[in-house]
Amino acid sequence: MTRDTGEKIDHKAVLAARLSSRIGRRSFLKGVGVGAGALAAAGLGLTPDLARADQAGHIRIASLSHIDTLDPHFTFFLSAVQVINNIHNGLLKVTFDGEAVKFEPDLAATWDMEDDTTHLFKLHEGVKFHDGTACDAEAVKFSLMRVKSGEPKSPHAWKLELLDEIEIVDPLTLRLKFSKPYAFLPVALTGSTGRAGTIVSPAAVEKYGMDYGRNPVGTGPFKFVSWKDNDAIELEANPDYFEAGMPKLAKASFMLINEPSTAVAALVSGQIEGMNDCPLQLVNQVKQVPTVNLYGGVEGNYTYVGMNTRKAPFDDVDLRRAVAFAIDRDAVVKQGYFGLAQQAFTPISPPMTGFYDPNIAESDRGQRFDLAKAKEFRAKAKTQGDIEVTYIMTEDGPGGTRVAQTLAPMLAEIGIKVKLELLEPAAWVKRMKDGDFEILDFRWWADLDPEETLYPEFKSGGSWNYWGWENAEFDRLCIEAGATIDQAKRAELYREAEDHLMDEAPVAMLAHIPVYKAFAKKVEGFQYVPCDLVNLHTVSIG
Amino acid sequence: MLSRAAGKIAQTLVVLLIVSIASFSLLKLAPGDPVLLMLGSEFDQASYDSLNHALGLDQPMIVQYAEWLGNFVTGDWGTSYVARADIFNLVVREALPVTLTLTACSLGLAILVGVPVGVLSAVKKDTAWDAGAAVFALTGTAFPSFFLGILLIWFLGVKFGAFPVMGFVPPWEDFWTGLYHLVLPSITLSTFFIGMIVRVTRAALVEVLDQPYITAAKARGEPGWRVVWVHGVRNIMMPVVTVIGLQLGGILQGAVLTETVFSMPGIGQMLTNAVLGREYMLVQAGVMLTAVLFILVNLLVDLSYPILDPRLRPR
Repeated sequence: MTRDTGEKIDHKAVLAARLSSRIGRRSFLKGVGVGAGALAAAGLGLTPDLARADQAGHIRIASLSHIDTLDPHFTFFLSAVQVINNIHNGLLKVTFDGEAVKFEPDLAATWDMEDDTTHLFKLHEGVKFHDGTACDAEAVKFSLMRVKSGEPKSPHAWKLELLDEIEIVDPLTLRLKFSKPYAFLPVALTGSTGRAGTIVSPAAVEKYGMDYGRNPVGTGPFKFVSWKDNDAIELEANPDYFEAGMPKLAKASFMLINEPSTAVAALVSGQIEGMNDCPLQLVNQVKQVPTVNLYGGVEGNYTYVGMNTRKAPFDDVDLRRAVAFAIDRDAVVKQGYFGLAQQAFTPISPPMTGFYDPNIAESDRGQRFDLAKAKEFRAKAKTQGDIEVTYIMTEDGPGGTRVAQTLAPMLAEIGIKVKLELLEPAAWVKRMKDGDFEILDFRWWADLDPEETLYPEFKSGGSWNYWGWENAEFDRLCIEAGATIDQAKRAELYREAEDHLMDEAPVAMLAHIPVYKAFAKKVEGFQYVPCDLVNLHTVSIG
Repeated sequence: MLSRAAGKIAQTLVVLLIVSIASFSLLKLAPGDPVLLMLGSEFDQASYDSLNHALGLDQPMIVQYAEWLGNFVTGDWGTSYVARADIFNLVVREALPVTLTLTACSLGLAILVGVPVGVLSAVKKDTAWDAGAAVFALTGTAFPSFFLGILLIWFLGVKFGAFPVMGFVPPWEDFWTGLYHLVLPSITLSTFFIGMIVRVTRAALVEVLDQPYITAAKARGEPGWRVVWVHGVRNIMMPVVTVIGLQLGGILQGAVLTETVFSMPGIGQMLTNAVLGREYMLVQAGVMLTAVLFILVNLLVDLSYPILDPRLRPR
């Protein structure tokens, strides 16, 4: 490992500390030394041992949501990532030991930082794609370039925008140079939610072109067999998988089921062995079933009420503040989310340890229920007297239309009369994206890092910023945080950015939502990772 | 005769054209943008524009329709932009056999149960049997099929574990397993039609049983079953067949719900997902196919009249 002259900063230790401690149930891995040790252990890695495990058993998992494509660089949906991640590997992967989420090398055998903008990856030897071609530095470069500047343009290209140069040092070693320190890199380079670091077979991309998404070829523990619409996606074990002793199953099927109650019935009656998602309304019932295990917890997400700041009446910051203080989150959690969610004070979620403040409830930060304050702000609003607004809602997301119905009487308390308008999902999405609404509720899902949970959603003029909110100071703080590797400093910057957002309240926070997977008890070895993954690498059927 | 056939075909084509225009414009007029749905939440304007253009959705509606129609009649049904597969294959080779199998089983079940119950009801007119059959028929007709499906799943599938609760196994690949998977969906889908058939059979047979030739048959000393099943039922075939033909549209409509509840990859589920995802071409293909099926069945019903009733045969 080389070192910058002058400054004596151990970049790797700093990044390592950040990586190993940032996301966890309990923040016990705060020390730099511990973090560095954890990464060093992971970095040393085990040389791949092409052990041929005896594969047996067939798991059938209900997949309840839409899957658009199995092309990791083009998918927009986490339900697709769940399947993709069993077929492909990333340069890095997300692991979870029950305490903390870590980012560890996956296809890379080692990962070193030469300075704060240069990363060196050494790949495992002898790894082959399912089509028999070698997964070497050239293939990795091909995949990264396909994301960064491929045609057609990958929607995840922004994740590699700062990547300046890919140098192939030798057939198994790559050096990635970034234009500035890139704190989001570990997430971006995972094969899971990051997607930009998923490595695809260049030969297969060449062969199938844009139909790659229907014929994916990766290095993962399972090979793609078939995809029959409205029926199932079939995978079979990759006997040459590079991680020793995996996979344990011979076959895996993702059954495409629209109706969650059908999936639960099939799970209970033993026709399938798992569900990729257990909707909140079914969680309490499934908990009662003695043959089923639920895996899950609060993940990196938040739900909120969004207000259109571009037009009356919510162009008035005092009215928005009044809304933010008028919402009784306890009631929303009970009635909207079946008592299963956790109140959200700011967007940064509990699993983002080091960034999330576990004592936020006792602090004075963020938004919370305070009717007196709400009325105070309401009295300052431009329009006094009753205001009538249209709240568009759709049967979608964890709360469905229940959240809107719970909120209506709370807003009535501060003189906002809500007219609920129920739309079909496609129409609802269009109204939201076109800015043709006054108020609605929505969510952001499965984030691992404050960068992705704050900046793209609320940056001035951003395409996901449906609220039309603009704040130069917020933008500046987020950009600075994105290039800050020191975790404590970075956390401070995000806190400040959040404070601007919460104060001007284009959105009123509601809750952080738990996400559940259900498996029959005979399914063993499922490793839960709190970012909505269904990794079957270690799963077996007893 | 030939000119009559030509007229019939021309009529059919006009109907199909109207159906295609109606479904195309309804779908286009419905709010919602397929590109937005396909892109999910994470995208920028550039990816939106390029996809919108790639799908030809930036063209005026009339151009899109003309293009679609031209391709459709020449057998090019287009490519599904979600499945990235040939629509003709998806609809005709994959989804249609599932729906036809389900429809055939349900119709078969409806006839097997409905006709005998109707006959029983007519023969035992105004007895407890008749009242029981009426209650059975009306309950079946009034019961929402999706709810019945869910009840069947929970009781027969989960509580007693007697039948599989979801999925489709092609009976031509594995006959008994296929049939086994079809039990619950067929019961669900057929309930409504059983009720219809019972009522129609009863009404028609009650009338026929009053006819002089029935009295004559009885007077000749023919056994009761022969009087009813040969002389009676033979003469009620026409109204029963007509009702079955007309109700086929209803069966296809019921298939949408039944296939969703039982997770069967048929036309119903395909159409539901295609409508929700605004897959215009796929919806068009599904609607056209349904229209063709409906017209075809009614044509068959027309043609069957002379066979069922010799009085209608040309002399």
